Amino acid sequence: MRSGMWRLVCGMVVFACALASVSCGRGTQTGEDEHVTTLGTVEVTAELVEIRGELIDRPMYDYAHVMKYKVLTVHRGGDVGDVIYVGHYNPLKPRNAVADARVPEVGGTVQSFRVGDVHRIALEFPIDECFMGGIINKYHEENVSPVYWAVWTNRARRP
Amino acid sequence: MKRLISILVFISGMHVAAAAPDPRLDALKAEVAAKGWIVYGARSDNGTWDLFLSRPDGSARRNITNTPDSEEAAPRFSPDGSRLLFRRLPKGTTIDHDRWGFQGALVIANADGSNPVAGEDGAAPWASWSPDGKQVVCLDKQGIHMLDRETRNEVRDPMKRQGIYQQLFCSPDGQWFCGVANVGGESWTVVRMNAKTGEMNAVRSFQNCTPDWFPDSQQIILSSRPAGQKINDGYGYTQLWAVDGAGGNDRLLYGEEGFHIYGGAVSPDGAYILFSKSPQDGSGAENAGGEMCILRMADTPTIAGESAELRQLHPATKDGPVLSLGQGWEPHWTYAEIGAK
Repeated sequence: MRSGMWRLVCGMVVFACALASVSCGRGTQTGEDEHVTTLGTVEVTAELVEIRGELIDRPMYDYAHVMKYKVLTVHRGGDVGDVIYVGHYNPLKPRNAVADARVPEVGGTVQSFRVGDVHRIALEFPIDECFMGGIINKYHEENVSPVYWAVWTNRARRP
Repeated sequence: MKRLISILVFISGMHVAAAAPDPRLDALKAEVAAKGWIVYGARSDNGTWDLFLSRPDGSARRNITNTPDSEEAAPRFSPDGSRLLFRRLPKGTTIDHDRWGFQGALVIANADGSNPVAGEDGAAPWASWSPDGKQVVCLDKQGIHMLDRETRNEVRDPMKRQGIYQQLFCSPDGQWFCGVANVGGESWTVVRMNAKTGEMNAVRSFQNCTPDWFPDSQQIILSSRPAGQKINDGYGYTQLWAVDGAGGNDRLLYGEEGFHIYGGAVSPDGAYILFSKSPQDGSGAENAGGEMCILRMADTPTIAGESAELRQLHPATKDGPVLSLGQGWEPHWTYAEIGAK
């Protein structure tokens, strides 16, 4: 009896953990949360395909660095095209620690930017109307437009 | 033994030479002493930032705000020298060298600090004077705004800012703005914009800031940290430069390895330059400012200290006398006379 009860409790714990893992996993997989689905006017899941130029490690100066993404899914905002260009604020900082007095409204779960990673991003545009600071845009000569401003950037899995 | 004695004599001679007063400095001091007033922010005895007036030789220094419950910074005289604008921040706020124009409230006062009128917190960012002093020019995400000095209402439609994001100043003739902008994919580019048409040109690209006008409205003084410096682990040091508003004719005014030079301002007659130097990048705004200095324009370019790399690049340095005014931040100069408070 004792052993049966123990087995039942263990079974329930395992079931609960599995349930929690599936539930959390869905968020991790899709990158969905209450921020990314509500902030900005455009929301996409996209693969980071290029970081052109070096990310500057200069803690005394805030800046945004424009990166190139291949769009995998558009969740909000209509047809944005297959490729978009997104400016990330102070990209060497983890997204959950990047908000500051100059830009209080940015965040997300991405810890660092690596080519090949997939992100679910809430976006606003054009970047010039969203951010007053230095913008490093190595795509400038290609006349890419619009350049988006990343409001919320979560890690996601390829859909 | 003889060699030891001669070394000792040499060292003591060097020491005496280093400690000896520089007659050129005394001459510069006497030359500028009666040329109006300097205003600047500095830490007062109570630890907060206050505004101070002094003669350009450093004499007659007085605290003109004296507010232990707030921080005051970034003062600028109106073109006729009758008024001041500056920013007031809540006590304990750290002044951000890169963001100060957005911080706190715009205050407009008489030049001696009396009758200060503060606006709303965060309003009128990056405010500076129009040429007649009746308006202030501001910069925010929506564009460039011209506000009436008294009512703070907009007097004309905003202009597009075209990537300008900080440190906007109107030329003395009212024809131009200068500011720091994103241009051609490059941030920290100093630009000139036609104040009527909005037509814009890059003045100097790559790591430039704190531009301000010469009295002739044709040249701009700015801070620049040129690429390719090997010192300071390749980070280099910021120097003071002058550039034509149309671009080109870039020339070094002052540099000193070991110090970042910011806050460049030209005297009302263009004969002197005022600046601050600090071993930390960012001009020391977050702490107690830098060492404020005056140099004759005729003595530019001047390079101070050993500055081996800089001297190699600029062998024609004149090494003129540099008058120190003590610690402060964002100094500004008027030739107007200012009475007692």
